[in-house]
Amino acid sequence: MKSISCFVLILAACGLVGVAIAQPIGDVEAGRSKSQACVACHGEVGAADNPAFPMLAGQHADYLVYALEAYRSGDRNNAIMNGQAAALSDEDIRDLAAYFSSQNAALYGLRRKSAKSD
Amino acid sequence: MRFIPFAIALMLFALPGLSAAEGDIQAGRAKAYTCLGCHGVEGYRNAYPSYRVPKLGGQHAAYIVSALKAYQAGDREHTTMQALSGTLSEQDMQDIAAYFEASGRGGKQ
Repeated sequence: MKSISCFVLILAACGLVGVAIAQPIGDVEAGRSKSQACVACHGEVGAADNPAFPMLAGQHADYLVYALEAYRSGDRNNAIMNGQAAALSDEDIRDLAAYFSSQNAALYGLRRKSAKSD
Repeated sequence: MRFIPFAIALMLFALPGLSAAEGDIQAGRAKAYTCLGCHGVEGYRNAYPSYRVPKLGGQHAAYIVSALKAYQAGDREHTTMQALSGTLSEQDMQDIAAYFEASGRGGKQ
């Protein structure tokens, strides 16, 4: 009996973890409406041609959250981004990350093997 | 005397090559080997805090250079990136950035 309830508990825990992983990091639509200041430099979907500003479309959402938090805390020092990030709440950051990461990818992962070929 | 304007025009054409360091994609491919130990592994995570390391394929080269310089100068906190960027010359940064920019859609490189 004990082992069965243990098994059920473990199953339930797995289910919970699955739900946690499947949760989007933020609200894409809320992020879109909060992105007006961002798009002036980064482009409407985070894929601006201006090479001075990073493309954001399709970037990992958790990396975007980390970067915005670093600009907000001062771990990253940048005249423009420190000011922009200072006004953002945790929720704003998650929504913006969800929005830009959900756009058609302008960015791609790399493969180390490609560095070895030829 | 007629050739002087022509000579000046030639010099002007040569100027950008002298002033702006151009990245060499093939050289960057070799120099990026260390970078790809993290950035070339799909889903690779930074530890403490935990997040997936950024995708760099197709990113603007000028931005990558500015980010590397910010790590080198200490304007971005990150122990590993500060250490690695500290080993790079300006030309290394340009080459690596050119390689990443060219590795965009379709994995051209």
